Amino acid sequence: MKNKKILLIVLIIISLGFGCGERNNKTADAKIKLVFWHSFVASTIPALNELIDKFETEHPNIQIEAQYIPSGDALIQKLITAIRSKTAPDISWLHSDFLEDLVEADAIYKMEDFINGSNGLAEGEIEDIYPALIQFSSWRGTLYSLPMEATNLALIYNKEMFRKAGLDPEQPPKTWDELHEFSKKLTFDKDKNGKDDQTGMFIPIYPAAGPLGSWMVWQWEPFLWQAGGDIINEEQTKVLYDGEGGVKALELWQKIYRDLRLRTFTSDFDVAFASKRLAMSMDGPWNLPRYKDLLKNLDWAFAPLPTGPVKQATVVGGEYLAIFKQSKHPDVAWQFLKWIIEPEIQAFWAMRSGYLPIRHAVLKVPEFQKYLEDNPNFKVFVEQMEVGQAQRPIDYGGLEITRHMAQAIENATIGNQDVRKALKEAAENSNRLLNSVKKK
Amino acid sequence: MFQTGRNINKKSYKRGDFLSAFLFLSPTLVIFTTFILFPVFFSFYLSFHSWNMFSGATTFIGLENYTRMFQSSEFWQVLGNTAVYTIGTIPINMALSLWVAHILNKKLVGRKFLRTAFFAPVIISPVAAAVIWRWMYDPNFGLINYSISFLGIDAVNWLNEPTAAMFALIIMGVWKTFGINMVLFSAGLQGIPDNYFEAAELDGAGKWAKFWHITIPMLAPTTFFILIMSMISSFQVFDIVYVLTSGGPMGSTKVLVFYVYEYAFKFFEMGYASAISYFLFAVLFVLTMAQVKYLKSKVYGAA
Repeated sequence: MKNKKILLIVLIIISLGFGCGERNNKTADAKIKLVFWHSFVASTIPALNELIDKFETEHPNIQIEAQYIPSGDALIQKLITAIRSKTAPDISWLHSDFLEDLVEADAIYKMEDFINGSNGLAEGEIEDIYPALIQFSSWRGTLYSLPMEATNLALIYNKEMFRKAGLDPEQPPKTWDELHEFSKKLTFDKDKNGKDDQTGMFIPIYPAAGPLGSWMVWQWEPFLWQAGGDIINEEQTKVLYDGEGGVKALELWQKIYRDLRLRTFTSDFDVAFASKRLAMSMDGPWNLPRYKDLLKNLDWAFAPLPTGPVKQATVVGGEYLAIFKQSKHPDVAWQFLKWIIEPEIQAFWAMRSGYLPIRHAVLKVPEFQKYLEDNPNFKVFVEQMEVGQAQRPIDYGGLEITRHMAQAIENATIGNQDVRKALKEAAENSNRLLNSVKKK
Repeated sequence: MFQTGRNINKKSYKRGDFLSAFLFLSPTLVIFTTFILFPVFFSFYLSFHSWNMFSGATTFIGLENYTRMFQSSEFWQVLGNTAVYTIGTIPINMALSLWVAHILNKKLVGRKFLRTAFFAPVIISPVAAAVIWRWMYDPNFGLINYSISFLGIDAVNWLNEPTAAMFALIIMGVWKTFGINMVLFSAGLQGIPDNYFEAAELDGAGKWAKFWHITIPMLAPTTFFILIMSMISSFQVFDIVYVLTSGGPMGSTKVLVFYVYEYAFKFFEMGYASAISYFLFAVLFVLTMAQVKYLKSKVYGAA
């Protein structure tokens, strides 16, 4: 009997609590609420929350409701249903592969609607953003989104292993020849049991290639550019990756894959690196916060990617924010975007998330300058932004062309096919696709 | 209101009966129509259109999806892979499940436990199972390479070699599905009357003769059913491929449904994906019909 009474009291208290909660929500409703979808990795979420708190403190009348969707793929599928059922978010984090579809469906605003509006941007602000990022945020030369952060690829290496192999730990590979030579020196099977105890370099061939091989292609692109190649011509009528640049880049990968016996290497390169079985790999700044802990017993550093036969280059990526036409408050959503690209905010966000700032002006923020001095690894990435290139957005069929490239890379490495033959076959498929699109 | 079974004939139905029957059926009908009937027809419609799901507009393109499919070298590779998987799994699967069912049909100690153990893979989530198999297939630390090293076999790079990957997929496919066939065969075996065997024994038939001349023919209806069902399910294999190999390396394990998935949910080309699905349907329909026509006459009790 007594128990029942206690239970009743507890229930009453709980229901009162719910009542209060609702009343609080009602006052919150007086604020303008923006729904923001994203798929940041879990380690970035605390930084994102800090960013949103900062915005809400500075803009007390706006509330940002960040909704996490576990993967980029799930996000785009959810967006499709949301657009069709008129429940799209105000702002969403996007991947450029889908700009084409979203523009065709008339789902997102052009950025110039806001940039030239009353609450627009000052002259030169867009030009201050790294051009590679602008290329990715646009479709057919029109800006449809703004970058929220940037990433690129650099070379992570284990200094201790360099020392043991008789290499200078302060002189990471600067050319392709050095990369090949060093990675061979760093690969050995000490106890001669047929399994390598240490592997010199990692490249993400299957099964580490990512969905549709996109991850692998992304890491191969810097080599393509470094050798003077490109993916597609300006008019988007034919692909160029089968040219001399592509041949050289793929030959390098084929050599590394073959000479380092990567066929039997694990796909978890970060685990291999942490457990001292891997000397070098390409990697991005998003792992820096994680490595502080994971690699604390290792002597390691990041270095810029080696320079190729023609030039220095790295691949730039990032996530982009778009405003949906179904939003009830597009101008408020714009206010959030405009705030996010401010140099001070970019500095704040970069220092917490480990992502790179999207524009040059951030480098002049004193706090950020000091941060770079304290974090030399992060600085490598920021400096590399100057040589960063992005895949030119392909109007139609971009994902399929990526997959053709992936097939060529797999055929040349796993299949050990002739590089020229593999690239030619893939390019024929891509060109056929481009021709069929052109007819429409 | 309710008629007993014996009294039902056309005249005794009243309009009210129809209405109440319809009302009782309506929840199922609504679900069936929305989630099965409509998609079946809509995807047929889509297979002649181009649609990316983002916009409501579909564009009629005639047979273009189908011609594109037959012209694509990748499609033929995928079809070939699917055939190899089917031809690889079904004989092993059926032989193994019949053998195990036959053994477990005898009075053995631990028979119930063994039956459960063999059936367990069927009810394990395919994704979880494939994740475990991926670890077992690991070239450096995997259980399988470790085990075969005792037999003096060199480490096999299970998932990174095109041929080995398909083989790895077939092994896991058999492991995953033979339990259900074993149960079906067990049921079939228990349905064979003992007096047939007794009569055969009196005539001096040995073990093998009994198996060949009594068990096999008496099991024919079960075997026939299992053959058709296994064929349909191997043609539709997806989840273990998705987790174990994602269709790689070099597309060597990419099967039809995975190919459909890529086009539908990666490239958002619903029209093309629908065309492939309808091709898959046509293949299964023709194969099943051919088997029914050819085998029906030979199966005792199936006519």
